[in-house]
Amino acid sequence: MDWTSWLVGTVSRALAFGVPLLWGTLGEIYAERSGIVNLGVEGMMILGAYAGFAVAQTYGHPGWGLLAAAAVGMVAALWHAFLTVTLRANQYVSGLALTLFGLGLAGLLGRGWEGRPLRAPLGSLAVPVLGDLPVLGPMLFRDQTVLTYLGIVAALVLWIVLFRTRWGIVVRSVGESPATADAVGIHVGLVRYLCVAVGGLLAGVGGGYLSVAYRPSWTEGMTAGMGWIVIALTIFASWNPLRAIWGAFFFGALYHLSFRLQAYVSPELLKMMPYAFAILVLAVSGFGGARRRGGAPGALGLPYVRGER
Amino acid sequence: MNVRKLMLLALAVTVVGSLGLGAQAIKAGFIYVGPIGDYGWTHAHDVARRIVDEKYDWLSTVYVESVPEGEVETYIDQLVRQGCNVIFTTSFGFIDGTYAAAQRYPNVIFAHASGFKRAPNMATYMADFYQVYYLNGLMAGALTKTGKIGYVAAFPIPELKRHISAFTIGVREVNPTAEVHVRWIYEWYNPAAAKEATEALIAEGCDVFAFTEDSPTVIQVAAERGFTSFAHYSPMYVFAPDYVVSGQLVHWEVIYDDFLVKVHNGTYTTKNLAHVDYWWLMAQNAASMGAEMGMPVNPKYVAPLKAFTVNHPQFGRISVYDLVFLRYNQFADPGITFDPFEGPIYDRKGNLVVPKGMWMSYDHLITMEWAARGVVGPWPGEP
Repeated sequence: MDWTSWLVGTVSRALAFGVPLLWGTLGEIYAERSGIVNLGVEGMMILGAYAGFAVAQTYGHPGWGLLAAAAVGMVAALWHAFLTVTLRANQYVSGLALTLFGLGLAGLLGRGWEGRPLRAPLGSLAVPVLGDLPVLGPMLFRDQTVLTYLGIVAALVLWIVLFRTRWGIVVRSVGESPATADAVGIHVGLVRYLCVAVGGLLAGVGGGYLSVAYRPSWTEGMTAGMGWIVIALTIFASWNPLRAIWGAFFFGALYHLSFRLQAYVSPELLKMMPYAFAILVLAVSGFGGARRRGGAPGALGLPYVRGER
Repeated sequence: MNVRKLMLLALAVTVVGSLGLGAQAIKAGFIYVGPIGDYGWTHAHDVARRIVDEKYDWLSTVYVESVPEGEVETYIDQLVRQGCNVIFTTSFGFIDGTYAAAQRYPNVIFAHASGFKRAPNMATYMADFYQVYYLNGLMAGALTKTGKIGYVAAFPIPELKRHISAFTIGVREVNPTAEVHVRWIYEWYNPAAAKEATEALIAEGCDVFAFTEDSPTVIQVAAERGFTSFAHYSPMYVFAPDYVVSGQLVHWEVIYDDFLVKVHNGTYTTKNLAHVDYWWLMAQNAASMGAEMGMPVNPKYVAPLKAFTVNHPQFGRISVYDLVFLRYNQFADPGITFDPFEGPIYDRKGNLVVPKGMWMSYDHLITMEWAARGVVGPWPGEP
């Protein structure tokens, strides 16, 4: 048992556990960047997990499962968009409702699907050449599914879109000041619909990863609170897709270490370590908030009504 | 027919109906702590509920799932309003709420699983696994090559400590130097936590796995790496037919059946339950060995278990397979002649906890906090 075993184990587990968090966080960043808080991440993830499992099990291919997970996550998110953008309902209440609804519906539909392993799980990729490297191979290129790498690529692409393209300016201006965006001819509602839908799609993939790859089977409530970690990570990442990468994987590392270190440190203490860290970061980012509200979009959580304010 | 006549008729129908049914029928309400789809504890209780519900015409059942432990009384109120005259609460944490409700509803029969508080109208029941864990420990001890067995455990409470120690005593009986490495996840149901705990144990060099939590996660993770494991609670053979050796299976229906029949025929009333405590083990068929109903040991593992022989102080040269079934038959016999916790037993700190020739009392079993020799890892609350 030497340091390489610790390094390899921690990094490779951090990636595998961080993947659903990364996908979910990327989605929530886009929704919130457009000004819509979606507390329904847990609900969208569990619906994605159920749909992913059911479809992959029925059609015998994990790819179909993940597509279904993405589609279901998106449909669930559109419901939130309809309530909050079109009907201007309270975003927090609508999001919570989506979480409760998702958990309930997935539990109901999932009756009878539990207790069976997925016949076509998404396996780990053995990356050629890179996988044979000492240390780096097992750490990064052997125990990961394609969703780990796709997640990182997605984060890069989403960052470029958000900060280096006209589309990104549109999204951010809608989230900062919808009235101004509206005045220059941007369709605020449409942008918000799209961003929330993308958010749902990504959260759905994150949920699908859980039931199709991470632990290929279905059980009720299998997201076990990950959607809430996503909400915290979104703030932790300062609504920045690149920072979401290391936020998700750092949380993954802490989560894994909380079990690995039990031989040396009190398990009760370790159990709260990842969460204590999240609180600490929020507090620090609050104090150090050179920017207002820790960098949150200016119109976050506020419904937009043309002509008001 | 005017309104008054209609109301009188309705009243008459209700009175006659309730008289006719009240003497006979039982409406049993079940309160679960988890979702029935957990494929663990709550799932097993619900399977049992459906079995007895279908078996008896005089019985109807209802259930509520995912009830937070602090809110059990509200749900009991609801079930009583729905006309339940027998209520089962199936989590240790429901203990105080159930006890308080039993005082408020003296005409309703309560039964609480895994607890110790009783009243004239409140019984307790438990199907315990420590014998089965010991049997699985014998097999695990024979199958480990690294001498390290991983154990993923939910909470450091006496029930789990009893199971882990019984398992470890089995392991050490056939493999005196083997270790059982324990990781706690502090949750009954959290697949991600169970997965990362298993990965941590794999990194420590464990090659055989057992667990006490409510999902097949440990089996799936171990099988992915080609490691053997033991199932828990529900039939989990199907999750890794090549890697699951055996496991623990529960049969709550034998307890529900016995209890409800005795309520139905008047043996149990709201006045005489203060000493009714089911502590049912293998002899009553409340617990059995296997990862699949009717398959005590995965056929794939019969040959390796037969090939592994030990020099047993009591039976001489014997294969682990034969030893397992010898013990199995001792447990299945209603006049049990052997107990895993037969003294002398020392805890891992070297204290004598069960004197030579003695068995542990029921009170000691349900309150035990010590760890058997061979257990490695944190042990919160260790005396």
